Amino acid sequence: MDSAPLLSVLNEDLLIRILSFISHDPDRKAFRLVCKTFLRVDSFHRTHLRILRPEFINTLLSKFPRIYSLDLSACPQIDDGAVAMLVGNGLLPDWCRRLKRLVLSRSTGLKSAGLEMLIRSCPLLEAIDVSYCWSFGDREAAALSFGGSLRDVKMDRCLGLTDVGLAKIAIGCQCLEKLCLKWCIEITDLGIDLLSKKCRELKELDISYLKVTSMSLRSVSSMEKLEHLAMVGCGIVDDEGLHYLGKGCPSLQALDVSRCDRLSSSALAFLINGHPSMLQIYANHCFHEFPTKVVQGLKDLKNLKTLILDGAPVSESLFKIINFNCKYLIEIGLGKCKGVTDKGIFQLVSGGVNLNILNLTCCSELTDDAISAIADSCRSVLCLKLECCNSVTEKSLYLLGLHCSFLEELDLTDCFGVNDKGLYYLSKCTKLVCLKLGLCANITDKGLYYVARNCSEIRELDLYRCKGIGDDGLYAVSNGCKRLQKLNLSYCSEITDRGIECLGHLPELSDLEMRSLLNVTGTGLTALATRCKRLAELDLKDCANIDDSGFMALAYCSRNLQQINLSHCSISDVGLCMVMGNLTRLQDAKLVNLYNVSTNGFEVALRASCVRLKKVKLIASMRLQLTPDIVQTLRARGCRIRWD
Amino acid sequence: MASSSKTEQKKMLILKSSEEEEFEIEESIAVQSGTIKNMVEDDFTLIPLPNVDTETLIKIIKYMKKHGEKTKSNEKDIEEFDKEFVKKSFTELKELVLAANYLHITSLIDLLCQAFADRIKNKSVKAIREIFGIPNDFTPEEEAEVYEQHKWAHEEGKEHIDHSAY
Repeated sequence: MDSAPLLSVLNEDLLIRILSFISHDPDRKAFRLVCKTFLRVDSFHRTHLRILRPEFINTLLSKFPRIYSLDLSACPQIDDGAVAMLVGNGLLPDWCRRLKRLVLSRSTGLKSAGLEMLIRSCPLLEAIDVSYCWSFGDREAAALSFGGSLRDVKMDRCLGLTDVGLAKIAIGCQCLEKLCLKWCIEITDLGIDLLSKKCRELKELDISYLKVTSMSLRSVSSMEKLEHLAMVGCGIVDDEGLHYLGKGCPSLQALDVSRCDRLSSSALAFLINGHPSMLQIYANHCFHEFPTKVVQGLKDLKNLKTLILDGAPVSESLFKIINFNCKYLIEIGLGKCKGVTDKGIFQLVSGGVNLNILNLTCCSELTDDAISAIADSCRSVLCLKLECCNSVTEKSLYLLGLHCSFLEELDLTDCFGVNDKGLYYLSKCTKLVCLKLGLCANITDKGLYYVARNCSEIRELDLYRCKGIGDDGLYAVSNGCKRLQKLNLSYCSEITDRGIECLGHLPELSDLEMRSLLNVTGTGLTALATRCKRLAELDLKDCANIDDSGFMALAYCSRNLQQINLSHCSISDVGLCMVMGNLTRLQDAKLVNLYNVSTNGFEVALRASCVRLKKVKLIASMRLQLTPDIVQTLRARGCRIRWD
Repeated sequence: MASSSKTEQKKMLILKSSEEEEFEIEESIAVQSGTIKNMVEDDFTLIPLPNVDTETLIKIIKYMKKHGEKTKSNEKDIEEFDKEFVKKSFTELKELVLAANYLHITSLIDLLCQAFADRIKNKSVKAIREIFGIPNDFTPEEEAEVYEQHKWAHEEGKEHIDHSAY
């Protein structure tokens, strides 16, 4: 007989601590349902909420009194009307006064009036994310500028934003510490200059893909507190810009100059000279040559943790210098680099280094010897990318299984040398979370069985075009990998309904790609839809033998579906209408080449879903066949139509 | 029980369980417990622990001794010890967490809470209730309401994590 019931032993502090160790969503949900005390502890201490339907916002927020972070990006139909209902009725709800962080990413229905109402109602708001609200422009920026406490603003892909809007934000939000303007292509040097003058607290800035010149970098170099600068794809910036950076930005720690076509590696050397304590350098596909002078310059980077040089030509001397001087390096990117040889890898990892992440994509000269050196030296390696390393065989996998028990992520896409024996050895890496075996023609169900049996932590599995995988392999996976969330089975043509039915035993499956599985029919899809309740993304392109019975099941059961690709499927008018109409969370649909659907069928289906659809792909000829009314309605609701 | 010694002898404390049994332990190890540390600062050398029974106290002393010897080289060793330490029955874990909480041994509290969390992971609601011996105090309507909220209203997003520290 227990001396004291558990609940009297576990006081609230202890329960909160136990709860803090439970991060997995289904476990937290189970926790809440155990008893009222557990529910109260969770509700009372929860600080973040991601809401799926707008009608629940107020009730939920009143039940969780400590929420200060709110994510509405998954909520369809957030528009000015919805905001007015939430905050516009005179009495401001309590949660507004507490809210510090708000995510409105992809809320394309929201306009400046609604945004302003929200900003004005939440005086403590520090962080806001309006990324991918592609129609946002200067009016919305003006609304944001009312947020005097804002520190973190994400405006990726707000395509309408110009210097005028940026100026408003710069003047209104002088406490800004993090700002992301990625893809806001109307911004010019003028906007960046004003930003640098007004927002003196800025620590992180992302100006990737903007059409700014080196003059912007001159302005940026005056930012005393700037630590992180991302300028991916700034194709107009040249070496002069990096010279300015080299002389300024005293706090700079991380720089991303990937795909800046006009930069030369010599300018990089100048930058390093001014900032020897840099921690992270990202230079993907940026440098076409690496003269000795620059390589020598890397000697000074004693604190470097991350070095990404994808696409650059490298040499043994480079590896030697890195190995000798950059003792704190944990991540290195050498994808598609010319000149990565076994010898170079020996140099890089000799003496035992602490590398956690190695990207060796397309370093096809590497053989088992290189992997052997890595497995031996970098025992705590977490992520290894070996896509297209064709000379890697089961010998390497044996060594990885033997030495690298912490391995979480492994990419063996298109590695011809991977076979069932290799997978048997690899299964000793029981902590694997993400495994990519796309285009591995030599693996069969047998090999997959070993992985499924031992690697129970796998969340992501890619079997794209693995012709040797069939129903038995899926049976093994569905028994062994219960945490699987993302699965790619496209073009594994041996798979039939039986295999797809097995997937019903994967309780967390949310993202499934199964293109061109011609042996799968409505029976298989029905079994999948009725059991995989968490399915959010589904790609059925070219599954020509699935009939309406499957799509009906999808329409009734897959209530969490957000994204679907039905291109080239044999769905009918009725089927399409049911799918588009019934699935109230569907926001993204690809409906190209649906030969069994009439124009009227499309009209009805689009009308049924126009209120929440954010992205739809249709065949180009539809443009003339659909009524202008439906196209306008979709556009007015903020939906993006892509004509194929 | 001299309060200070001129020789190199380490200062020893005596811990007394609820059943009046006494255990000698080095002060440097015992002060991993915040409660004991406070009492030592008030010049106690005999520390009565009326809330901790003998069996539990023995286990706690074992834990503190192991963790008192922590250096950079035996980290893996201590990890193994911790793993074995929590392989105990539910009743024992309960007693331990009560005692650890009373004694304010932060690392032990964390270890035990993690152990409880691990026993909750991947289990159904019914299974959790059974394992922990917790009665269901929801009415069917209340339970349905919470369940509905899970399914339709909201889901766990990633908690806002501060990535500013490298």
